Amino acid sequence: MKLALRVSLLALVCMALAGCDRPAVDKAATPPPPPPAAPAAHALQVLATTDLRDIEPLQQMVLKATGVNLQFRFGGTMESTEAVLNGQSGADLAWFANAKYLLSDAQGQSRVKLQEKIMLSPIALGLSESTARELGWDRPDRAAKVTWKDIAAAAKAGKLSYALSNPATSNQGFMALLGVVASASQKADGLVAADVDRSAIAAFLKGYRLPGDNSTYLSEKFIERQGVDVNAFINYESWLLGLNQSGKLREKLVLVYPHEGVSTADYPLLLLNDARRDDYLKVVAYLKGETAQTWLARQTLRRPVVPEVAEKVADILPRDAMRIELPFSPDRALADGLIDAYLNEFRRPIASTFVLDTSGSMERDGRQQQLIQALDYIAGVDRSLTGRIARLTNRERLWMQPFSDNPYDLQRFEIPAGTASARGVQVLEDSAAKQKALAQVRAFAAGLNMRGGTALFDAVLKSLKNMADEKQKNPGYQYSVVAFTDGESNKGRSFDEFKRDYDQLPEDARSIPVFMVLFGDANERQLRELVKVTGGRLFDARKTPLYSVFKDIRAYQ
Amino acid sequence: MNKTARLLVTLALLGGFGGALWFSLRGHPAQQAAAETVAATELSGLIAVDVEDFFKNPRVVQVLAAHRLPVQVTRIGSRDMAARVLPGATPDFFFPSGVVAATQVTEAGRKAGIPTASYSPFHTPLVIASWEPIAKILVDNGIARPLQPQVYGVDMDKLTQLMLARKRWKDLKHSAAYDVSRSVLVSTTDVRRSNSAAMFLALASNAVNGETVSDRDTARRTALRLAELFKRQGYQENYVNGNFEDYVSQGIGKTPLAWIYENQIVGHALAKGGIGGGMVLLYPQPTITNKLVFVATSERAKTLGALLSNDAELQGIALQHGFRIADAERFAKAVQPTGLAVETRLTQVVDPPSFELMAEMIDVVTKEMGQ
Repeated sequence: MKLALRVSLLALVCMALAGCDRPAVDKAATPPPPPPAAPAAHALQVLATTDLRDIEPLQQMVLKATGVNLQFRFGGTMESTEAVLNGQSGADLAWFANAKYLLSDAQGQSRVKLQEKIMLSPIALGLSESTARELGWDRPDRAAKVTWKDIAAAAKAGKLSYALSNPATSNQGFMALLGVVASASQKADGLVAADVDRSAIAAFLKGYRLPGDNSTYLSEKFIERQGVDVNAFINYESWLLGLNQSGKLREKLVLVYPHEGVSTADYPLLLLNDARRDDYLKVVAYLKGETAQTWLARQTLRRPVVPEVAEKVADILPRDAMRIELPFSPDRALADGLIDAYLNEFRRPIASTFVLDTSGSMERDGRQQQLIQALDYIAGVDRSLTGRIARLTNRERLWMQPFSDNPYDLQRFEIPAGTASARGVQVLEDSAAKQKALAQVRAFAAGLNMRGGTALFDAVLKSLKNMADEKQKNPGYQYSVVAFTDGESNKGRSFDEFKRDYDQLPEDARSIPVFMVLFGDANERQLRELVKVTGGRLFDARKTPLYSVFKDIRAYQ
Repeated sequence: MNKTARLLVTLALLGGFGGALWFSLRGHPAQQAAAETVAATELSGLIAVDVEDFFKNPRVVQVLAAHRLPVQVTRIGSRDMAARVLPGATPDFFFPSGVVAATQVTEAGRKAGIPTASYSPFHTPLVIASWEPIAKILVDNGIARPLQPQVYGVDMDKLTQLMLARKRWKDLKHSAAYDVSRSVLVSTTDVRRSNSAAMFLALASNAVNGETVSDRDTARRTALRLAELFKRQGYQENYVNGNFEDYVSQGIGKTPLAWIYENQIVGHALAKGGIGGGMVLLYPQPTITNKLVFVATSERAKTLGALLSNDAELQGIALQHGFRIADAERFAKAVQPTGLAVETRLTQVVDPPSFELMAEMIDVVTKEMGQ
């Protein structure tokens, strides 16, 4: 159990440095942790994966029926798994789409006192109708035989470009990769890291066009971009059926369940805090009862685990042909190696510009320290489940765009490529060249000077132009702008001027998302407007530590 | 202790006994009521999930109350029970899912100087829950034979050999109905955690060894050979109902062959008034039976153990939860209305290897799975 060891080592290191769950970088710079939100009396704290956001109305139903007050907190699969593994979730219950990562680990098992599956949703490929016709997958007999290998081949041939949540942070993404690996290996069981057919993964990822880290965001973007640069969406059946029902799609999606490669989310509700066992049992009894099961099926389009209810709602869920489940490999070396290889070798490499506010106000309230800490984190050495997502990856290109009264010169960094192993996957150590590049980024962060005003819009526009130029030269990268500010823009272009100039940018530049970080005294309304114009997403670092927000953004890049 | 102190203690003790005697002879009403309250103190028990529904059953609660033996039970994993045998903090009883865990508890009791008494009020055979098309394929390949509609006998020796030969479903003759490239494997729960999986190991060891494993070398060698049947399954559910729930809710695509206790499917059929279409039972030949063992650590718990074994009403309720009792006719009658076909007379039943050898085999498999 290499992972368990690593996690526990990390926990030890963290304990030694006091204040865990934050990166072990610069102790002096670490601001005191925000006081934990006082839980409402007797509320049952539930840590749930983000794809469960649509079940929030259940809170009222459960309260009414059982008197138990559920309080949901949402996180990515990997991040939540890590929190539970380390015993730092602070939650009484966890509700994951898939708890197999957690439960194939002895430490994880010891955290879980009771478990009960609540509902089901298989991961499927949703294809625009026209794409399904082109591929001939609109015919049920053909669709029934489509394997992950076929999907990878279609992606390689340029016929399939899809939206999918990040394989390094989400269950859907990871299981899709595992499906490709299993399908290409031809092995009947017992998949291990050495079985990974590298070319199949590379082929599959050629079609990966729209990344992100939660289904709500991806659905919005998919609605915008369907038929423009994406024609498929890999996600839980429930979300795909929901999109079809929404009436917002340009074309309906045809659902394909990969032959012999279906991975079904079974949504186990896990008891973590044994003191809340009675409440847990009440909630489970309610959730598995007819009322809740029917509600879940009708409102969220997830399949009931209770067969009698499943029969009653058969009208709203696709009648299945036999769906052969993809066995989940509990081999951590495979999971870790696959994620590491995905990030550092197979994925479309990241190219992004970080727009950094270095105005005078950054000197206040430990803001500069937080920024340094956040940059140190992404250029750091944390190899935990979440740390590896935040870290700069091999082949990555990064420009720093500090600004105050004006945008300063851009500074470019590049992380060198690693050496690929011939067969299989494994977690690779950082090369000396990579360590050097990471040190350069950290040195840059340490050398930042804070003074002057805030020419945010000028800096964002300049960065977008930079990214667009780069994109023309090197279209093989995944481009984005990450912009960070602690105050209102008071120098350079006004927002209206920015909008006017933005509209003049070529389509290529306008397709680059801007991930905007709200920090300090930043003007939320203004930044919301900005993100609306540029596409992307607003992240709030006023209550969450900045480094943690940077980590979240990384999953969207 | 000096003489005076000893005398005082003796006097105090005598006084106590004498007082009790006096009160009981006198039959003082208030005192009698108090005695009843004392008798009705809840017995604490740590139980396996298998018997949780039984203890929750209102009729069971009623019968136990009438006998002044109300219980307060908490469900935990059977293998975690032995660790709860602690001087001064041991519950009145344990009700683990099988002999292996029960032996661990009595062993722990012996070491801690806590006397125990064991009862086996009900039992259930291990079966493979499957699907009509799967059973037909196995019949066509000479591995199973029909015993009655929806009931098959499966040759455990042949099935084990087939799995060890790493055959895929599509390698079998007439497998068009389940033409998949997954290996033929019986899905079990995690052998490191669950009793039922240990029973699978016991039965498979008997199959490859030709008889019950009875020495350490054979145990190690056999376990080493069988470890792949667990490892190759990939992720396994680590609570007893996980496997059966997958069978019921996800069907043939996830679990073509599910290793379960018969009481799980019988209890399910009784509770739901029937079973889903296409579900069939394969009885391994030979098969193995799981005895649920009630381990008492207090006098009142012993009374409860005897009651569970002998009280006609409690035995009847156990039937409703799918368990078998000594009276096979009663079991057959109870199941009949559900339409679930079962094999009431089990002819070939093998014994599991000794507790020590089972522990050894589980150890070997656990190590193999960690690699």
